[in-house]
Amino acid sequence: MSALILTSVLGVLLLYLGVFGQKRLLAPVAVLGLLGAIGVSATGWWMDVPLFAHMVRFDNAAAAFNMAMTGLTILLFLFGVDYYARMERDVAEHYALMVFSLTGAFLLTSYTNLLVLFLGIEVLSIPLYILAGGKKSSYRSGEASFKYFLLGSFATALFLMGIALVYGVTASFDLGRIQEVAMAQGAAPTPLFLLGLFFIAIGLSFKVAAVPFHFWSPDVYEGAPTLVTAFMATVVKMAAFAGFLRLVQFTALPPTLATALLVMTVLTLFIGNIVALRQTNFKRLMAYSSVAHTGFLLLVVLGNTAASTSTLFYYTFTYGLATVGLFVVMTLVKRAANGSEEVRSFRGLYQARPWLAITALLLLLSLAGIPLTAGFVAKYQVFLLALQAGFLKTTVLAVAMALVGIAYYIVVVREAFTADEQPLEVQVTPLNGLVVLLCGIAVVALGVWPIQLP
Amino acid sequence: MNEVVSAIRLVPLEHYVMLSFALFSIGLAGVLFRRNTIIILMCLELMFNSVNLLLTAFSAHHSDPGGQVFVFFIMLVAAAEVTVGLAILVMMKRNVDSVDIDQLNRLRW
Repeated sequence: MSALILTSVLGVLLLYLGVFGQKRLLAPVAVLGLLGAIGVSATGWWMDVPLFAHMVRFDNAAAAFNMAMTGLTILLFLFGVDYYARMERDVAEHYALMVFSLTGAFLLTSYTNLLVLFLGIEVLSIPLYILAGGKKSSYRSGEASFKYFLLGSFATALFLMGIALVYGVTASFDLGRIQEVAMAQGAAPTPLFLLGLFFIAIGLSFKVAAVPFHFWSPDVYEGAPTLVTAFMATVVKMAAFAGFLRLVQFTALPPTLATALLVMTVLTLFIGNIVALRQTNFKRLMAYSSVAHTGFLLLVVLGNTAASTSTLFYYTFTYGLATVGLFVVMTLVKRAANGSEEVRSFRGLYQARPWLAITALLLLLSLAGIPLTAGFVAKYQVFLLALQAGFLKTTVLAVAMALVGIAYYIVVVREAFTADEQPLEVQVTPLNGLVVLLCGIAVVALGVWPIQLP
Repeated sequence: MNEVVSAIRLVPLEHYVMLSFALFSIGLAGVLFRRNTIIILMCLELMFNSVNLLLTAFSAHHSDPGGQVFVFFIMLVAAAEVTVGLAILVMMKRNVDSVDIDQLNRLRW
């Protein structure tokens, strides 16, 4: 709970710093505040008490997710020092909105009541609608923001309808009570309850960008400012999946719904990986790669075994680290290549900055799931979990799609290691270099020594 | 308060469910098929409000105040959301000088 209060106050404080024009203080204060939030979350370990009239419970899983998400946000803020250096106005708002969004993410990892789930999703999303339109003069940014807003609100409306229907059957928003009703109804739930859960699942699928509800993600990823895209791909995805898993753990999905979600998983794995093959824009490539990873993560959520939380945490955290690092590299390359976001513009990176190219290689290999990187261990755990849960055919498909996935990551690697006539003039500030190196080291270290939640 | 609840209970629950499904479907169709973004925002509000109606009806019939409290939260969040939405719309209007959703297709789908 202290983490919630700390981040809310931190957001307001950042806005005040903006009012008094203390632009240089923004990043240090934000990073210090978030370090404090990590510390506060860490003290909550093993202190599993229900809060706010049994609506929120910070158990160990929630504490771990919160610390990881805060850590990723800190990396993004360190990158933000350079990213926002050229922006004169509204910098404080960017930092503050991201901190507010993080507060929503905390709610999503720790709710035990559908009201808090709803508030969490909204507190997470509303700042993002604004952030996606952060470049006011850019047409693409505006369009991304508007599309995200429209589809996000639409998903929220469906999600709310689901909550209302579930409430109609259970007469309570409490997850414990819903669990009792779900258990009592067993394999044949009443139509209203089934429809309600179905709508809730659709709403959450929008947030995690699962096919067929993924179509906003390439556009929004491409149009939004890169830092915001990185935030959406990592923190938001982690929070949405943590929320999804918590819901599935409590409602024990009825068979009909489980089948529907399994079909969605297959589609997500297939379309995400296949469409990513023909992308030439790096941000769109990362968007489809993110859709593909959603497929693997959905397997974890659907499997819903004892190891699900740990697997989900490890996968989303390592995926987040690799993605943050790659987006920083992309921004540096983009500046050197006159604002081009094409994969082609990576050409000559190894010539100019060998260590940057090699770190990018490690990060891409981790996303592809090559052994000795964290991505491999994460995928291995997912396949193991899916087999234990009895999804034999889907697991075979997932393995095949993981192999297809290697192809489009290798395209980027090939470009980065191809020599170009003109060397790429990449400027790296020490802080940006630190963020990329930290991500690279973490991805290898976590691959060698995987972490497991108790 | 009790009079209101008993007045709500005079109508059977099924009727409320039917009515809010109808309103919800109208809103859904509006969001999917209308081209004017202002109308789309209104249809979104219609969807939110059909949920509010349903929650209130369930709340009265279950004698549980939780549903009505939820309605307040939905109203609050919907207001915040539409504020942001209209601001984004104004920004778009300045860029393309139109509120037609077909204008917003320069990013490939």
